[in-house]
Amino acid sequence: MNFIVVGCGRVGAELAYHLFRGGHQVVVVDSNKEAFNRLHPDFRGRTLEGEGLAESVLERAGIREADGLAAVTNSDTLNAVVAHTAIAFYNISNVVARNYDPNLRAVIEAFGLQTVGSTYWGAQRVEELLMNPSQKAVYSAGNGEVEVYEMLIPENWNEHTLGDLLDSLKQCYPVALSRAGRASLPEMSTKLKTGDVLNVSSTFEGIGALTARLSKKAEA
Amino acid sequence: MFVLIAGGGRTGARLANLLINQNHKVRLVENRRELLSLLHQELPTEVIYEGNPVDPSILEAAGLRDAHAVAAVTSNDSINLALCFLAKSMFDVPRTIARVNNPNNAWLFNEKFHVDVALNSADVLAHLIQEEMSLGDMMTIFKVRRGLYAVVEEKVPEGAKGIGMPLKDMGLAEYCVIAAIIRDGVMTLPRGDSTLQANDEIIAVASPEGAQKLAELLAFPNYPTRDRNKRSA
Repeated sequence: MNFIVVGCGRVGAELAYHLFRGGHQVVVVDSNKEAFNRLHPDFRGRTLEGEGLAESVLERAGIREADGLAAVTNSDTLNAVVAHTAIAFYNISNVVARNYDPNLRAVIEAFGLQTVGSTYWGAQRVEELLMNPSQKAVYSAGNGEVEVYEMLIPENWNEHTLGDLLDSLKQCYPVALSRAGRASLPEMSTKLKTGDVLNVSSTFEGIGALTARLSKKAEA
Repeated sequence: MFVLIAGGGRTGARLANLLINQNHKVRLVENRRELLSLLHQELPTEVIYEGNPVDPSILEAAGLRDAHAVAAVTSNDSINLALCFLAKSMFDVPRTIARVNNPNNAWLFNEKFHVDVALNSADVLAHLIQEEMSLGDMMTIFKVRRGLYAVVEEKVPEGAKGIGMPLKDMGLAEYCVIAAIIRDGVMTLPRGDSTLQANDEIIAVASPEGAQKLAELLAFPNYPTRDRNKRSA
């Protein structure tokens, strides 16, 4: 597929290389040609020096044939405007804008764009790991507001039901229970066993409450 | 009228002053520290609002929901575009006016970014200068349709090509209408068979092509040539 990456900072350079390694045609655009020094030495995609808003630059980058565009500069406003340009002027549906400053995320959202906020997302993940090193997030939705976690059932919850474990717990839903490598959709009446792996879909607050409960002894 | 201005550079500050003098309500949003201290010297404190002009929470606090118009005149084209888009899509502002800094970005300033009026400062200035150079004594009274048409005034010099020629034969029809002839201080509304005399003043509505044609008809018969030898002597 053909992809355009606007902005060759750390995120842009890494993304361009990933796409290239995935066998795609990649054009990286940046107004500062020094920025292309950040690209991996094995990168064999195209680089294009120019402003991401100039019609001639977008045309030369092949926007008419592009399957997707990523606007990943360190300006949220520029990312929003470049992404909206790709959608509104060129009908590209597969467009992602990077959110750089979490305070400006609302700008990108106002355009209705798909966005990835590496600052916010990174901070959230680090916080999670600091708060509970044993928690393992296996899937992250949106910008990490909701994640699917893998939790190991400890001995103190052996033979208790899932309903007991999740009783009146907010912001936390069970999605799968794996026992001996076999997963099933659990019922609230399902009895837990030590060593079961429970997947829950949860917010940060929800998983905190569940973690606290798992470490406590179940009330008989 | 309540106008929110984004960008406190020379354009924004000047505009704020003009509007305040006409008793309009003005808010100017700016976040560059170095400009803010200058603005405080020029404008009343209640007009200046410190913050990022694309941050919806700042715009809300600055009262954009009640604004009748937004003037996005920062020196950053993507900010100007994003602001117009937000103003209409989130705040239902009836009218958006944006400054184009880089002529290469002018193509984006349209309804797709909810820009009602785009003013390309470099382009406007360049055209005005070009006009001043090419149109001799013609004076633009005012512009209409964003500078596409103009109402112009010009004095008819002795010996001009257009003297004595009925207006209908001047070949101006598509581009230019001569709306008034002022002769010895008396204004007449001309008809197609009216003719011009030397020292008449005329007022015309013209497109750029029309103004050009009119200027040719009313030019001095011999444009004063510059004598190069004179200067070196």
